[in-house]
Amino acid sequence: MSGNNKAKNKKVLLRCKNLWKVYEKNGVQVPVCCGLDFDVYENEFLCITGPTGCGKSTILKMMAGLELPSMGALSLRGKPITKPNRERGIIFQEYSMLPWRTVFQNVCLGMEILNISPKERKEKALKYLSLVALTYAKDRYPYELSGGMKRRMTLAMVLVTNPKILLMDGAFGALDAKTKMVMQAEIIEIWKKESATIVFVTSELDEAVKLGDRIIVLNSKGAVMKIINNTLPRPRHGKVAQEPRFLRQFVALREEVFITLKAGTVQKGAS
Amino acid sequence: MDIEGNVSPATEKKEVGAGNQTSNGTSTAATEAVMARFRQQIEITKLQKFIQFFTEKKYYFIGLVAILSTWQILMFVQVLGPDFSPSFSPWAALLAFIEMVTSGDLSRHTWPSLRRVFYGLSLSVVFALPVGVLIGYFTKLEQMTYVTFQFLRMISPLAWMPVSIIIFGVGDNSVVFLLWLVAIWPLILNTAHGTGRVSQLWINMARTMGAGDWAILRKIIIPAAIPDMLTGLRLSVGISWIILVPAEMLGVPDGLGYYILDTRDRFRYDQLMATIVTIGAIGYILDSIMRMFIRRYAWKI
Repeated sequence: MSGNNKAKNKKVLLRCKNLWKVYEKNGVQVPVCCGLDFDVYENEFLCITGPTGCGKSTILKMMAGLELPSMGALSLRGKPITKPNRERGIIFQEYSMLPWRTVFQNVCLGMEILNISPKERKEKALKYLSLVALTYAKDRYPYELSGGMKRRMTLAMVLVTNPKILLMDGAFGALDAKTKMVMQAEIIEIWKKESATIVFVTSELDEAVKLGDRIIVLNSKGAVMKIINNTLPRPRHGKVAQEPRFLRQFVALREEVFITLKAGTVQKGAS
Repeated sequence: MDIEGNVSPATEKKEVGAGNQTSNGTSTAATEAVMARFRQQIEITKLQKFIQFFTEKKYYFIGLVAILSTWQILMFVQVLGPDFSPSFSPWAALLAFIEMVTSGDLSRHTWPSLRRVFYGLSLSVVFALPVGVLIGYFTKLEQMTYVTFQFLRMISPLAWMPVSIIIFGVGDNSVVFLLWLVAIWPLILNTAHGTGRVSQLWINMARTMGAGDWAILRKIIIPAAIPDMLTGLRLSVGISWIILVPAEMLGVPDGLGYYILDTRDRFRYDQLMATIVTIGAIGYILDSIMRMFIRRYAWKI
């Protein structure tokens, strides 16, 4: 584990300590997370990547409190995580909105659960709808939305509950190439505007390199291969991203992630 | 200004364009002109609309007329013999129907029937929805009740008639009890099915937003099961209406079921046929109302 000197003087928000998760499959115990040890710092954009089936999503579910670790502990600002709580908002890989509610009503859901007054609800919902550029579609139903719009809506649904940490599970995987790039730029904007802390699970190298402050690379067994400090300057979209110096750095970093990933995948054969 | 800021409004416009071609502000004057011409073309008068309705639905009407004609012809050639055939024809039924409406006999028997069905359904909704939600939510409870419910629902409520008369006596209460008994099964089973297939994803999402069990029940599970509840209610309405007629033959002094026996006893077979047609028509209307409810309130995916 090298290269997080810069991050060391930052405040720890979420701590994973010797985290294990073992599933039972047909009577055989299959480990998906093997002794994960890492911290998530405040206002950090942390990307977790790794080969298929390495337990990336499981880590997020444990962070959200939807699954309990088999061993080890997770804590948010020192408090242990035992069950779901609105401090940790999660955006699932699937679109998790309620089909009988309009975009606006879906965004209000979290605030209804928290018993926030209707007036404040409306104000806040509109604020976050404009943040994700969905105000014009607020009265539509989910089945009338495109993939990118659904993604932005689930984002607003979670942001509106003011989580301390935002967990995103392969959030842009199902989007087309153009929408994906737009969403990547937008999530960075939102991250800056809200000074949020984001843990972003992705299986795409480019995405991890483009978004993360740090990139945690897991191997097929579900152990940490390497934590890579992403020194690429921000912003990483637009004109800056066309400069040769940026591109060289970008490709070099992606290569580093790729080599690490490849080294961690060999046990499972050619893939 | 970086590119990031410019990219997002551009997609927004594109996506608006996909849903609504005229309000995105990007369409040119040329598009506008084409659209105006298109709108002109599809503008039609009320009479044209009326004609269009009949042209589209013509086979429904043709079928109906064919059936009625066949019925009339069969009675005209006296398939039921010279004594009965004339009074069983649709024409005789129509005349009897008009007579029954004007004399007030029909409404005197229709309202009690509708009232009984309404009471039976209301009581079954009050009972079956909570039971259905509980069974759908708690797998153990579903397993505990499975055999009993599948067994009970196969018994015609009319078999319970003597029991019902012992408990409630002859009269309205007995009929309402039988209707309740027949209406609860589709409601319970459909509600349980709807509750049981609520996506774990929605529940997980609500829990990470801080929802407790009560909030999950109110915000996720019940609304998610509404389409299935309505389907169950539609089935219950249908079967209640079917069971109503025999149930009303159990010693109540009015209602459409009673009236069937009454017309038979008075040898008024034309009135009998008119009552049968009325029962069918009211059943059809009730079902149409339920279908309308489902279209209006069941959410789409």
